[in-house]
Amino acid sequence: MELELSPDQKLLMSALDGLLAPYRSAPTGAHGYFEYSESLRQALAEGGFFDIVGEQGFGPLEAAMLIEEVASCPVDAEVAASTLIAPLLGCDGAPVALAWGLGRPARYLDRAGTVALFHENGLLVGAPAPDDWRTETSVVAYPLATLCRLPEGMVRQPADLAEAVHRRALIGIAAEAAGLMRGALQQTVQYVKDRQQFGQPLAQFQAIQHRLAEDAQTVHACRLLAFRAAYVDSAKEASLACLYAQQAARKLIYDCHQFSGAMGLTLEYPLHLWTYRLKYLQGEAGGRGKQASALAAHLWGETS
Amino acid sequence: MEFGWTDEQAVARENVRAFLAEHLTSEWQEIAPLSPGSEAVTSFSKRFCPKLAEAGLLVPHWPSAHGGADASPWAHFIIGEQLWEAGEPRGPQYYNVNWIGPTIMKYGTPAQQDYHLGRMRRGDVIWCQGFSEPSGGSDLAALRTRAERVGDRYRINGSKIWTSYARLAEFCFLLARTGSDRRTISVFLLPMDRKGIEVRPIESVVGEGDLHEVFFDDVEALESERLGPEGEGWSVVRYALNYERVGIPRYALALKTLHRAVAALISEGAFDAVAQDAAASACSMCEAARMLTYEVVDQRSKGSPSTGATSMARVAIVQAERSVADFVLDWTPHLFGSAEQPMVATHHKRAIAAGIAAGASEIQLNLIARDILGLGGSRGA
Repeated sequence: MELELSPDQKLLMSALDGLLAPYRSAPTGAHGYFEYSESLRQALAEGGFFDIVGEQGFGPLEAAMLIEEVASCPVDAEVAASTLIAPLLGCDGAPVALAWGLGRPARYLDRAGTVALFHENGLLVGAPAPDDWRTETSVVAYPLATLCRLPEGMVRQPADLAEAVHRRALIGIAAEAAGLMRGALQQTVQYVKDRQQFGQPLAQFQAIQHRLAEDAQTVHACRLLAFRAAYVDSAKEASLACLYAQQAARKLIYDCHQFSGAMGLTLEYPLHLWTYRLKYLQGEAGGRGKQASALAAHLWGETS
Repeated sequence: MEFGWTDEQAVARENVRAFLAEHLTSEWQEIAPLSPGSEAVTSFSKRFCPKLAEAGLLVPHWPSAHGGADASPWAHFIIGEQLWEAGEPRGPQYYNVNWIGPTIMKYGTPAQQDYHLGRMRRGDVIWCQGFSEPSGGSDLAALRTRAERVGDRYRINGSKIWTSYARLAEFCFLLARTGSDRRTISVFLLPMDRKGIEVRPIESVVGEGDLHEVFFDDVEALESERLGPEGEGWSVVRYALNYERVGIPRYALALKTLHRAVAALISEGAFDAVAQDAAASACSMCEAARMLTYEVVDQRSKGSPSTGATSMARVAIVQAERSVADFVLDWTPHLFGSAEQPMVATHHKRAIAAGIAAGASEIQLNLIARDILGLGGSRGA
């Protein structure tokens, strides 16, 4: 048990920090529902970050750190599946989309080179063609598209690989949610320090301090649970971390919007770039209920 | 960063388990549900802790200069997790090894260290903590008990309240005002048999021996019983509180209680999907508390833990305790309301105090807001 970064991890995060500097704030004049950045993805690819799981001395934990850090930025790029799942499927290059059912919106499907579809017949993997999906328009801060039909040439994966992909997907959601929460909280903390009402900053009100303090504690716990799940790379820990993150997202989103007032409802203010990704992640992979049920089965058996 | 246990740590945990399997006999199983401050648990602890000491499991984390084994805080914490899961057979003596001993190591004179640390590492001395008063609970610096200097001695007058273990304690780690400034406080290591001390138990829902009033009527204290310089007790207290606030892996007993309640539901065929959801959620709260607590232990292993991290762990522990206590009440009220599973009631009694003892949760939130988020200071922060 060592909860400080190792020298190699520090180097990694320092390199990542430099790379992310231009993406720490939303682009000037950005008024979109989402801010996807091909250049961020490109920079990560050129830096070799997508190969991190196979790097000597690194593994899923470092991938989770990368995912969490990138997600703390208001600008988005597909990172989780490319780092945690692509190495399992042997695909690289273009984004990987995880689809949780036919006819349901999936993140990054419109730009994916590979789609992994969790289907009633098991995990099917293949390359989607443009006719296979339709773009969705929504307030969600991810690019979404719906898989309308089964792409040709989809290959059913062995059960153990399907289980591993599912586990890594949950770890990715937990790490990404942790980063999104951290980003949203930082934005909100700054806002309550700046915003004056009743002759003082909102930050002086204890009612606000206490709720944000609870959120800080929860966000930090999310991060540690996601990292632990990545380190042990087990289905039980993945369910637990994902459950905790999807559960914690509810209050955090509410608090951040509540303390940002009407500004938090506008597209010129970047809060939605974190919270409207987080809202979507709340229900990903079946949502907290599904993870709770899986965790209960891990802890107390299927017959419970 | 990594989340594994070393071989040495894994072996250490197994050793503790084996030791407990051998020494926590059926006698302990009967009294474990009682309060740590009860006569039965206190008396058991005085027989059990010397055995722990003999096995090198009481104060291994203390420096060898003070009779420890220079083991890391992790070694101590692993022992604490296993003992707490077993119901804390050290009784009130966890105070000694967790925070009173380390505080005396930092601030005590050689004579104080020699005597008190010697008693603690033998495992047969009970202490109480003279902090809270009717006028000073969460606002500890508002305490009114005074220690007036009279020649080479002090005369102490005042009262303490909510004092755990006071009736059976030999010593009190006592805070008293020695000046007019709000934080001009001194600490005394006061024998409880001193003339003028009166202890009155307070009947409560948390268990026998847990709450008392202690009255000091012209009680004499020697200068040699003062810990640290006169008037500088506030820094001693802050040091002690940082150790005290995460001395207890309460989530370990909470998880055990959760497992017991689930086992009962499974045996009744009543562990349905809704119950599974609630149980898994409570478990996730306990694991969150565990990880935040581990972070404090990790920081302690490298020096002094930050106030912010300590407070986050405290808040998480309280939430975890409540999640489990609520699960038990929601799903197994028959266990709560009967003697069938006494540990369930025990957990409830301990959980209900968790958010209050060692600084109310709301004080911890003040500290997180101030130290982690940099939000304007509140009173009590």
